[in-house]
Amino acid sequence: MDADSDVALDILITNVVCVFRTRCHLNLRKIALEGANVIYKRDVGKVLMKLRKPRITATIWSSGKVICTGATSEEEAKFGARRLARSLQKLGFQVIFTDFKVVNVLAVCNMPFEIRLPEFTKNNRPNASYEPELHPAVCYRIKTLRATLQIFSTGSITVTGPNVKAVASAVEQIYPFVFESRK
Amino acid sequence: MAARGSCPACGSAALVEDAHYAQQQLVCAACGCVLAEGLLTTTYSEEEHLREVAYSQSTGQKEQLSRCLQRGIKRVQDLCKVLQLPKVFEETAVSYFQRALQHPSFHLVSLEKKELLGGCCVFVTCRQHNWPVTMGTICSLLYAKQELFAGVFLSLQKELELSVPALSLADLVTTHLNSFRLFQHADDIPAQYVEDKEKMISRTMQVVELAGETWLVTGRHPIPIVTAAAFLSWQSLRPAARLTCPLARFCKAAGVDLPPPAHLRLKELLGILLRMASQLAWLRVFKMDKKTVVKHIGDLLQHRLFLLKNAFCLEEEEEEKKERPGTAPGEGSPGSPPAGGGVAQEEGCATGGKQQQKDRPGPLLPPCLANPRKRLRTAALSASDSAITGDEPISDSDIEQYLRSPEEIRAFKKAKAWL
Repeated sequence: MDADSDVALDILITNVVCVFRTRCHLNLRKIALEGANVIYKRDVGKVLMKLRKPRITATIWSSGKVICTGATSEEEAKFGARRLARSLQKLGFQVIFTDFKVVNVLAVCNMPFEIRLPEFTKNNRPNASYEPELHPAVCYRIKTLRATLQIFSTGSITVTGPNVKAVASAVEQIYPFVFESRK
Repeated sequence: MAARGSCPACGSAALVEDAHYAQQQLVCAACGCVLAEGLLTTTYSEEEHLREVAYSQSTGQKEQLSRCLQRGIKRVQDLCKVLQLPKVFEETAVSYFQRALQHPSFHLVSLEKKELLGGCCVFVTCRQHNWPVTMGTICSLLYAKQELFAGVFLSLQKELELSVPALSLADLVTTHLNSFRLFQHADDIPAQYVEDKEKMISRTMQVVELAGETWLVTGRHPIPIVTAAAFLSWQSLRPAARLTCPLARFCKAAGVDLPPPAHLRLKELLGILLRMASQLAWLRVFKMDKKTVVKHIGDLLQHRLFLLKNAFCLEEEEEEKKERPGTAPGEGSPGSPPAGGGVAQEEGCATGGKQQQKDRPGPLLPPCLANPRKRLRTAALSASDSAITGDEPISDSDIEQYLRSPEEIRAFKKAKAWL
């Protein structure tokens, strides 16, 4: 297998984290009383609301900031966030859906070969960090994309980045290096 | 040197003559009260016997540094003394510590972390000079939690931009085996358990190299592998007497801790050795099991390159054979990516190979791939899900399911009032 040949690797997105603001103060007690599927954490000062249709967990603060986790694509995250804003509107708050931003995307990719981690670390010295006593994977950081990849010896790679495009380009960038140190 | 008399403060008779720098003092050993001090000036004969005091031990350095820094430096120096490191290491570690403490991200951390910082500087120095020390050793010396140590170590590496080379397993084998007590006769160790150090080290090194070539070392903690390898090589050097001794008793006799993963590593190593033994001509007739293969470890290690190639190279030949007829049906399914198809073929040929010839083993894979656990990974996006654009209208009925009806609210309030 030549490294330059076009290989289609399926990248599975497992988690998308996004934030948005409602631009109004939210009464957490009211949400906890009148909303279904909510958990009120009074000691921390937040409400957890779980949606079913896009499987999303939202953390709602009284300042109006909401963080949504659990979506499997950016569009699904936006859809879930809008649903949540709509539910809050129905509860009686003057919600305006603003400042929506995807903050973090977590994806998993499987290489069809095993990777020799000590060799890989030696060839990619400043960016790769491998401590077998702490974690079984090599932690590779790409500063330009602000992405972090965890490369396991089985060929499985976990990528976290600011958006889906960054994650895809990170996998593209790492493929030749990983291919060099394959079994 | 004990002296006569009793202490005026606590009344104990334990008086000791001590020297504070160059001054003689009479001190009570129980409460520390100074009874008498020597003269301020010394005689000529005493001056002849005076020793040079290093700047770091004198009071001069103390006046310039803050107390926290002084304590930290002392801790680093003590750690280096306990580990019996050369003088160069101590100086490097102290310089790293001073640099780190001035850094804003370490200046204001908790005392616990500052204590660990000293240990991390020593650890980094050892790694840079290829001196085999594990994090476990440093953590146990500092009575620290491994997670906290890991965090401090990683941030130290990032802030000071230090390049820390990998731990060399060969050196670690030598150092770890040095702590075993089996190389000299002792009362509590049976005579048959004692072994020659050089032979054991060389054989353990070979077993560890074998483990490295067969995916047992990558990503795993090094010490359990070294322990399991040492146990196997110790058993193989005198199998008749030692086969009955289990791993736990071996570690107890050697005076080392038994790390929990060592049993798993031992099992994996024995599995690899059994597969290699099936390829060795004069062993093929015998039925090998975990106990009997230990006797032949010497032969297996001698021919290990040849045996590994034979035991595990078959998957490449079978892949080529299967791919040629496999590409024809592959073209029929358009949507599948070539990589996915390649993986399926590999797995197919491995199981196919196993079914065709029973004594042909599967490919050389890391243990977690060879025995995969069930994975709860969600399937790829279905067609309806991928049609979501994010901007569709949301119907009221969808939202109603997330709101409680007024009756429910009243019931909930009542229930809360009861509680």
